[in-house]
Amino acid sequence: MHLWENMPFFLVIGSLVGAFVMAMFARWKKEWCPYLTIISVGFSFILSCIIMSRVAGGEIIHYYAGGWRPPWGIEMMIDELGAVMLLLLSGSFLLIAIYCIYAVPKEIHPSVSGWYYTCFLLTLSAMMGMVATNDFFNLFVMVEVTGIGACALVAAKGEKLSTEAALRYLILSSIGAAFLLFAIAFAYQLTGNLNMTYVAAELANIRTQYPVIIWVMISFFTVGLGLKAALFPLHIWLPDAHSSAPSPSSAILSGLVVKVYIVSIMRVYFLVFGFDIFTGTYMRYLILAMATLAILFGSFFAFVQVNLKRRLAYSTVAQIGYIFLGFGLGTVWGITAAMLHIIIHAFMKVCLFLSAGAIHYQTGRKKVTEFVGLGYQMPVTMVSFTIASLSMIGIPLFGGFITKYGIALGSLEADNPYFIALIVLSGLLNASYYLPLIWQAYFVSGPRIKLKMDAVPLSMLVPIMIMAAGVIYMGVFPGGALNFLGKAVTRFLL
Amino acid sequence: MTIDFSVLLLNYPYFISIIIFCLGCLCILTQHNLLKKVIGINIMQSGIFLFYIALGNIKGGIAPIYDPGLPEATLYINPLTSTLILTGIVVGFSVTAFALALIVKLHQFYGTIHASEIIRMRSLG
Repeated sequence: MHLWENMPFFLVIGSLVGAFVMAMFARWKKEWCPYLTIISVGFSFILSCIIMSRVAGGEIIHYYAGGWRPPWGIEMMIDELGAVMLLLLSGSFLLIAIYCIYAVPKEIHPSVSGWYYTCFLLTLSAMMGMVATNDFFNLFVMVEVTGIGACALVAAKGEKLSTEAALRYLILSSIGAAFLLFAIAFAYQLTGNLNMTYVAAELANIRTQYPVIIWVMISFFTVGLGLKAALFPLHIWLPDAHSSAPSPSSAILSGLVVKVYIVSIMRVYFLVFGFDIFTGTYMRYLILAMATLAILFGSFFAFVQVNLKRRLAYSTVAQIGYIFLGFGLGTVWGITAAMLHIIIHAFMKVCLFLSAGAIHYQTGRKKVTEFVGLGYQMPVTMVSFTIASLSMIGIPLFGGFITKYGIALGSLEADNPYFIALIVLSGLLNASYYLPLIWQAYFVSGPRIKLKMDAVPLSMLVPIMIMAAGVIYMGVFPGGALNFLGKAVTRFLL
Repeated sequence: MTIDFSVLLLNYPYFISIIIFCLGCLCILTQHNLLKKVIGINIMQSGIFLFYIALGNIKGGIAPIYDPGLPEATLYINPLTSTLILTGIVVGFSVTAFALALIVKLHQFYGTIHASEIIRMRSLG
């Protein structure tokens, strides 16, 4: 089978085959689906671990589909960022799949619960393809498949709100995909290549000749991928879709799906266009402005929400602002912090959304004003929730602090210290909408409740605890991840 | 910068495809009927498909099937862009199918497919 050489291929195709198998089992043996999903995702996780160890050994994996070398064939390239993303994706999906065993029957109608796993694996497969590919058209196809899979994950709940949100998400994401396809057409027209490395090499030669087309191209890429990554003015689909989806889907969408688009947009900016075109077309300043607005308005909107999941969804808009701010600064520390925040925010948001799901599972509460006494009713969930919230605010020893510190250093490097004020302000805003929840849960005395263990299945608690542990690990020992991602950053800024 | 109109005339397929793209975009953004929005998506994608096809076309070129009977200097059109668009059409088809399924579901819930009506009904109840 040549598993070793064809590893990136098996990584993507493994869960794709899993998705089709699951569609078969959805009719026949519905109750097997969750366990088969765990096996399939576990296979991807093991492969990602092996790829990670290969990349950590200093190898950048180039895989040519069918043995056709670029510029003719499709190339998959896994660098440090790609390996980290693959590990993050498959690891988080594994935990969410374990969470799904009890959460899905509760939140999704039994007639579609088997199909839910089909969409689950389809989304995973397409996202891993998007991270691993080095070919523009392949990227477009993966973007579309992820879009459809993610919409299906939202629509699976089958309620009024989630159906409407899914349709809006689908329409806006197909507008985004159309812009992306147009941008790829310009890239092909200008350079005659679809392989990103070759497009980059060709663009460096002809960038002075065709300034207008390059400007149009980079703005189309920004609109197309920015719409899908929910960059601030283009975020309108996000709060509805993320809050009306079932909890495992919310965790996937908020924690992972938007990040994959950000990884693609970073690659397009830094590896394809290069830092000079990125700055020279003023796209960098636009990104900085939109990221600033995202951080401020995302936090404001989150502050006024009453529904817990809507508050978390608006918080995602603000956190995406951090990532864009980080790489918009364009300095070593800024980009490293942006990459690190992709990982840490995935840990935090998956933890928060899964906790919200667990709270709804045990008590049926959905509003932010109903947290009274939860700290005693569900201690494990609330401790994890507290850890993730404190990390969101940016308290030292939690993961979120490291990225805020990194972005602050990056803005000093970029000679633009105003962003430090922005980070401090947004930290205060985050505190204003996360701390009241924690305060209510522990310190507001309701009817006398004795401390007791959560009445939630262990398979729902363990993923939440592992994610919370990940947040603390990244906050206390960030050195390994920083060094590893630093190698990717040096190639980004060549 | 002066615009050379003869260049625009010579490359009219690109020009038309961008107009179609803009029309589709306008259709999605301004129409309240959800079905028309889906039609807008398709119009927009058709514009891009036309752009790709125009990209690969050569004046006087023939289909890229090698025939030893033809003279050596025969022009073949670029098959790559047509192949890409084949994939693009499939993707567009699946998005349309999915969107229509969701619209059917919304019609069951609300009894209408007008976005403004749905928003009004949701804000009432």
